[in-house]
Amino acid sequence: MELITGILTTAVLAGGVLALAALGEVLAERVGVFNLGVEGLMALGGVTGIIAVTLYPNPFFGFAMALLVGLGFGALFALATVVFRANQVLCGLALTMLGSGLAVTIGKGYSGMPAKATFEKIIVPYLSDLPILGRAFFSQNILVYLIYLIIPAVISFVLFRTRHGMNVRAVGENPAAADSAGIPVTLIRFCYVTIGAALGAGAGAYLTLAFVPSWSDGVVAGRGWIAVALVIFAGYRPFGAVFGALLFGVITAIGYVGQARNWPISPTFLSMLPYLGTMLAMILPVFLWRRLRLGFTAPAGLGVPFFRDER
Amino acid sequence: MSGLQSLRLVRVSAVSGRRILAARVISFIAALAVGAIVLAACGFDPLHLGTQILKKSLGSRFGLEDLGLLLTPLILTGLAVTVMMKIGLWNIGADGQFYIGAFAATAIGLFVKGPEPAMLVLCFIAGAAGGALWILVPTLARAYGKVDEIITTLLLNFVALLLVYYVATGPWRDRTTGTVASTGRVPYEMPDFFGSLHWGFVIALIAPVLFGLLLRYTKWGYEIRLTGANPEAAHYAGIPVRRRMITIMLLSGAIAGLAGMLEVTGTVHRLQGGISNNYGYLGVMVAVLARGSPVGVIAGAALMAIILNAGIILQTQGLTTAAVLALTGLIMMFTAVADQFAHYRLVRALPVPAAATAAG
Repeated sequence: MELITGILTTAVLAGGVLALAALGEVLAERVGVFNLGVEGLMALGGVTGIIAVTLYPNPFFGFAMALLVGLGFGALFALATVVFRANQVLCGLALTMLGSGLAVTIGKGYSGMPAKATFEKIIVPYLSDLPILGRAFFSQNILVYLIYLIIPAVISFVLFRTRHGMNVRAVGENPAAADSAGIPVTLIRFCYVTIGAALGAGAGAYLTLAFVPSWSDGVVAGRGWIAVALVIFAGYRPFGAVFGALLFGVITAIGYVGQARNWPISPTFLSMLPYLGTMLAMILPVFLWRRLRLGFTAPAGLGVPFFRDER
Repeated sequence: MSGLQSLRLVRVSAVSGRRILAARVISFIAALAVGAIVLAACGFDPLHLGTQILKKSLGSRFGLEDLGLLLTPLILTGLAVTVMMKIGLWNIGADGQFYIGAFAATAIGLFVKGPEPAMLVLCFIAGAAGGALWILVPTLARAYGKVDEIITTLLLNFVALLLVYYVATGPWRDRTTGTVASTGRVPYEMPDFFGSLHWGFVIALIAPVLFGLLLRYTKWGYEIRLTGANPEAAHYAGIPVRRRMITIMLLSGAIAGLAGMLEVTGTVHRLQGGISNNYGYLGVMVAVLARGSPVGVIAGAALMAIILNAGIILQTQGLTTAAVLALTGLIMMFTAVADQFAHYRLVRALPVPAAATAAG
């Protein structure tokens, strides 16, 4: 029992990083832009969070600063891919290099130091006393509640229950048709990619202010890439992303528990679990439940730059 | 009429290579300018750094040797990505395939004894086979389930990195010298022909030319090109699209694995954690710079090698690898944007007749 609770508690905490980044990527991909820069954005957000709380020890300040930095670099990426319509794969890789490199350069003096302020646990009365699940789900920091419940609910509502959301999805599915219907394709793409990037950087700040909590070179460790993969697994749905992230949180947590309990398997192999798990999660459903995946296809306009004058 | 003429930007879909080149040169200079401003703001002297780079990389024999050593893996990983671009797929996993190629070559080197030439051939085969094996699962998933190859190839990079790290610090660790986390020396070496530059460089130069010729002059190459341009048309033309896709993806992995094998037997002579040096990711940039031309890969890799070499020199001047990585990312983004700018042309727009304006 104690083992399961421990794994679940760590899983929820670890999954939060992936969930927030994946939610950001859902926004970008829903409007048709493939952002491979999440890894770099997370690094930037992580280092920003740490530096910000060193200057002013308040986790909310650190998180907000990370969001701002994410907005800035997201706008840069959106400028390149949406306004100038440069190659999305290339720009994404470039953003990852730029972000990771910058983050390590800026964060040199902060490496290994514990965060000066972290997000504290908020214990939900009564619910946290539930057996097994209580501690895992109702005794976490405020970002966990935000990431698992509020943000995906808001995104789901906007995307699937409002007229604006319909326009947004139209931009991702068929930008040319959306354009002839009078929807401002470039503006919507720009805004959603930028906001998505801000969430990616926020995920980095969550990592260094709530999960690890400190900054070191390589702390992001490919989580940005897993988040990108999760979006496909999630079928481009916000709650799918959250569910997938929790699943990978569990895989990560099993690795941690294995290390802590000295299982007779090298920690290196336990570290491989999330990557292999992500890959299996992408491949298996396609072959096992073909029909189930039918409604989960990518937005048709994903990765395709929209040129109004070539329509 | 003349007074009503105005200038506007118009996108043209076909652009000459010269325009692209010009746009790239401008963007490269712009990226360098941004980098120089940042460096100056951090207290470095960009002009001094610049002259150091030119003098040490292009102005000396040792500099040129280093350039060749950097070019070898960059050409091959760039070619690996280009090969897959030919059928419209992205190989972001060249880094992992590189690691496994290096891993397989090291395994032969450490555990199989024999005459050197034969062992080098065996390493060559093992490296290529390792790389191909590493892309096998993404290949089958893509060919039979349309699973996005960008992500699957990429995720395996992390697995390969961890695997190599594990053997280099664990079971294969060098116990005689007890130095850094690396395996013992691989006894088989690619022979050198110019200072420390080995014959792997020549292999790297031949590979893109060979692939270019195959693509242009063989039926197989024609089928690949047709599949890349329009898979459906290729299918209806009777081309076994799936089989071609599988061959190309495995070939791509084998080329990246070969790069890893050459790095072990030619340059580093042992397996260690950071042996790929991001060559796989940089290969993507090389391939985009080459714009799908196999021979263009050599030019793209040359530019990348100069940037990397500049980075090594910058490190001796007090800059970190991370700062160089950031600068590379910046140059990459500028290049991507420049390729688009090349498509725009400033034209004199004729005044639109009043009737058309009203209708629009």
